[in-house]
Amino acid sequence: MISGIEIFDIALLLVVLVITSWYVAEYIVRVFERRSSRLDKIFNPIENLIYKVSGVDTNHGMGWKEYAFAALLINIVQMALAAFIFMNQAILPLNPQHFSDLSWHLTFMQVISFATNTNLQHYAGEATLSYLSQMSAVQFLQFTSAGTGVCVAIAMVRGFKKGSKDLGNFYVDFVRSLTRVLIPLCFIAAVFMLAAGVPQTLSGYTTVTTVQGATQTVLAGPVASLVSIMQIGTNGGGYYGANSAYPLENPTALTDVAQIFLMLLLPTALCFVFGKMIGKEKESRPIFIGAYLLFAIDLAIAFIPNPINEGPGIETRFGGFMSTFWTVVTTAVTTGSVNSSLYGMHPFAIIAAFMGMFIQATPGGKGVGLMYMIMYVILTVFIVGLMSGRTPEYLGMKITGRDVKLVMVAFLVHPLIIIIPTLVAYASGAAAAIGVTGDANGFTQVLYEFTSAAANNGSDFLGTTANTPFWNVATGIVMFLGRYAPIIILLALAGAMIDRKRIEGTAAALKTESFTFSLVLVASIIVLVVLTFFPFLALGPILGFFQGHINFFGP
Amino acid sequence: MSDKKSWASHLRPLIVLGIISLLIGGLFFPFLITGVGQAFFPHQANGDLVQLNGRTVGSYYIDNGFTSPVFFHARNESTCGCSGVDPDITPQQAYSQIPGISSATGITNSTLTSIVNDNEEGTFWIFGSPYVNVLNLNLILIREYPSVYTNYTK
Repeated sequence: MISGIEIFDIALLLVVLVITSWYVAEYIVRVFERRSSRLDKIFNPIENLIYKVSGVDTNHGMGWKEYAFAALLINIVQMALAAFIFMNQAILPLNPQHFSDLSWHLTFMQVISFATNTNLQHYAGEATLSYLSQMSAVQFLQFTSAGTGVCVAIAMVRGFKKGSKDLGNFYVDFVRSLTRVLIPLCFIAAVFMLAAGVPQTLSGYTTVTTVQGATQTVLAGPVASLVSIMQIGTNGGGYYGANSAYPLENPTALTDVAQIFLMLLLPTALCFVFGKMIGKEKESRPIFIGAYLLFAIDLAIAFIPNPINEGPGIETRFGGFMSTFWTVVTTAVTTGSVNSSLYGMHPFAIIAAFMGMFIQATPGGKGVGLMYMIMYVILTVFIVGLMSGRTPEYLGMKITGRDVKLVMVAFLVHPLIIIIPTLVAYASGAAAAIGVTGDANGFTQVLYEFTSAAANNGSDFLGTTANTPFWNVATGIVMFLGRYAPIIILLALAGAMIDRKRIEGTAAALKTESFTFSLVLVASIIVLVVLTFFPFLALGPILGFFQGHINFFGP
Repeated sequence: MSDKKSWASHLRPLIVLGIISLLIGGLFFPFLITGVGQAFFPHQANGDLVQLNGRTVGSYYIDNGFTSPVFFHARNESTCGCSGVDPDITPQQAYSQIPGISSATGITNSTLTSIVNDNEEGTFWIFGSPYVNVLNLNLILIREYPSVYTNYTK
């Protein structure tokens, strides 16, 4: 159970978060609407140089096909660059520990993993990656996937904005997302992490003789810069195999709270960006309230057990409360960083984590979380329209049969790319081949792997044991589809909204800004998601709970 | 987008911008933070290394592997599945080790208890729960009782 003071801790953190995100949202809107700013003096010369060198026509507006094409293709170029570094790190500079090149299948999986904002890791960074790979493959893709996520969400919002002619210019959005949003925010966060004890060096590991005379290696590297983007970008891929459970990546309770704050910041800000950008701030209400009511339900589920996760797998400096809170947050925003071992979590905490990854909008990964919530809003508008026998309308626009079909396809991709590979993993013997058992806890681990991949979350039970051709290729495909299929479909939906006739202010219209609508939205998301996924939860963590498991150590 | 010319016009921005994003996010930013870290936070940036009599003995945040009965011990079991190098224990776990340390060293229980209490970390205002850093406690013991810890002061 959770104590009063712990509830107050969470409430205080969320209040500070919401106030900060409100201002960050205001800033994001200014950046992407290209409003003039005092910062132009610094950024304009840099950006103009980038546009000139790369031949970008900044006045060219893109339709949904061109926008999606540019986003997908630049991500593939970036994957190729990172793959080159992973597969040649042995001969490239900044490799003081002399690590060897990555295999083709691990490279395939990892570049997709980082470029899709998933950050599932089938390796332990401190024993596998050179400094160059950590910086110019991992951190590089963490920046670009975060930037891409923000861009496609902004593009989708433009589709719903009255008077939009197009979805914007992807290249301009992408450059500005890096120069004006991510680099400045990450700079502040990285300096904070440095001051609080997170290392940032390129001098190689330090070998010391301990107090009792044993030999020990201190595994320092460019960690602070990675931690900043991995949390702000809701990436989640850690410098170390143990992620933010490793003390040098997350040394104190203070850095722990700060990292929780950082991963919630942009997803929450984007809830407000929607209303600000379409010029109707009230329309952010269902998106924000919906996301945070679902988040509260997840938290309540995770905190049912008493005591909360105090056994093995928990770092002493965080304890059960902070570890459980982190586990819910990291899946609610599909970051996937961990500050404890998932094996140490109670089945209820794992159910809460699954809920975050099934819904993907509580508030979800930065960018795509907002896109998913708009999708749920349209679905709810449609359902309410059916029940009341009214033509469904959103923001004064009629929702057509084609819109609902697109939304349904986007929704159904997710369960399909989780369920099919989970079945294949068992049927083909791939699960047994890496030592996963055939019982409830084993099923939870396999289901979690593919759910985490499909939701572009990134935490997992399997870790380095899944570094085999089957698991690398299978999760690689799932991550790729889980990222780009919904993005393309939802951009198509946004493209269809441009130029659509609006009839506003009719008394009969559904009031989507009302609290009642937010409640209906939450209810329909729960019904949809629970009906889709309940059988799988029942075979995994629910069965495990009834068999008496309090964590996932042992079968 | 329908004609071939406009597809081809994407080739240059895709490749050049792809490379520029690598330069910004993958080189400029981590180098910038490395510069800031080494200039302003050298202790933290280099792994929070801790000295004893001028000799570097480890990182403040990494379990130093104490096994002798004269020291406080961290509790990192090999099967924990977490970092495995957690240097921190709860004050209660530290108290439970005090009688053993006291009988091995002759330092009184009450002195050891007050050393534990004076070095609690992990709480700021109402956040967090207290813990103690085992390496920190043991370095304090060595410095305050050099005659007891002669084996470790060289």
